Amino acid sequence: MYNLFRFFLRYHLFILFLSLEVFCFYLSYRTRRYNEAAYSNFANGISGRVFDTYTGITDYLYLRRMSDSLVRENAILRQKLVESKFDNRVDSTGVNDSSGRYVQHFTYITARVIYNSVNHASNLIYLNRGKQQGLTKQMGVFNANGIVGQVISVTDNYAAVMSVLSKDFKVSAKLKKSEFFGNMHWDGINSTTATLEEIPKHVPVKIGDTIVTSGFSELFPRNLMIGTVKSVKTEPDKNFLDLTVNLSTNFGNLSYVYVVKNIRRDELQNLDSLAHKND
Amino acid sequence: MINQIPINLLRLFLLLMLQVLIFSHINFSAFVNPYVFPLFILLLPFETPRWLLMLLGFAAGLALDIFLNSTGMHAAACLLIGYLRPFLISIITPKGTEFEISPNIYAQGLTWFVVYLGVATAIYLGFYFLLEAATFLNFFFLLLKTILSTIISVAFMLIFLYLFSSKKVRRFA
Repeated sequence: MYNLFRFFLRYHLFILFLSLEVFCFYLSYRTRRYNEAAYSNFANGISGRVFDTYTGITDYLYLRRMSDSLVRENAILRQKLVESKFDNRVDSTGVNDSSGRYVQHFTYITARVIYNSVNHASNLIYLNRGKQQGLTKQMGVFNANGIVGQVISVTDNYAAVMSVLSKDFKVSAKLKKSEFFGNMHWDGINSTTATLEEIPKHVPVKIGDTIVTSGFSELFPRNLMIGTVKSVKTEPDKNFLDLTVNLSTNFGNLSYVYVVKNIRRDELQNLDSLAHKND
Repeated sequence: MINQIPINLLRLFLLLMLQVLIFSHINFSAFVNPYVFPLFILLLPFETPRWLLMLLGFAAGLALDIFLNSTGMHAAACLLIGYLRPFLISIITPKGTEFEISPNIYAQGLTWFVVYLGVATAIYLGFYFLLEAATFLNFFFLLLKTILSTIISVAFMLIFLYLFSSKKVRRFA
């Protein structure tokens, strides 16, 4: 017993160091594991407010390149695009009944980016919209140039978005020309490129081909721009192509973005759980 | 000794705001991420007990984590340099040197400070980038990133020190 005490007395600093370090690792592990923005909503609210004030000041420096009203108008226009509608026809050869053919499938909420980073292993973006403006977890985010990310946590007035430039971000993407689809994720270093996987080897792909969203996930409507093919590599021991994609979104200067609200999401998720119940 | 507390609190606040609102916004390159925040721990008084260094480092790191959304990673790195700081100081300081209350660039001199900041920042950034990537796969990328970021960070820290250090110090040769 005496020796035990002596041990603790002698190494108490190192033990303190180790236990705090373990606690830090636990914190960062938990954040990663559950894919959540760090800390409680309270802490996010505080940092959200600080960044909001900061953007409020720096906005004058950029002379408000885009006005809010223009962006709102764009959102309304996008809502009217065919891609945002749900095709309600059962008989595809039937006569078009213009009254009941299209039902709204996606709506868009505009938001301003108040914090953004591109140099980390997992980059986060803060938006000045939250629960009260209708945002929830698992909503897609894009801007006029391409996709931006996915909402991972919301407070009353702010939301944290996992950027495409994150280790854990995955999106279902397809080649616009041939409709072959695969999973796209970021490689972790270059903020302008990402990797597209699972495109079979026999598919003809040229440099410069357009990559768009497939619409398979509930995050994004189909045919949203993602980028263009930068390079194509084949490896003899793999059945799939190694595609590098030039992202069309410039993550360095995001200012206004759209958040995708999928009206049929709950229904899709229900279907998903039903389908898996039968496994 | 008592008036050290408001000075250090003020410095913590200033460094936190500088880091969060300016330095973390410099999206210059994936290789250059300047961090001036470790300066808070590095400028604490020499007589600070080690357990307090660690606890302060941990708390300050958590505060930075809240803003940069890097849960626990900056806390872990700040804690590490809080733990290593006494070793580092005793290694780089010649025996028999008398100290001011806190490290001061006009008392210790530029060379001492460059070594002190350089080593501490390299440890801090190396550890942090490694935690952030959570893999050794891109080892040479991380190494280069650490070296370049350390150089830039130390340069910014020196500017900070020359701007905010008290010149009223006794010189110890």
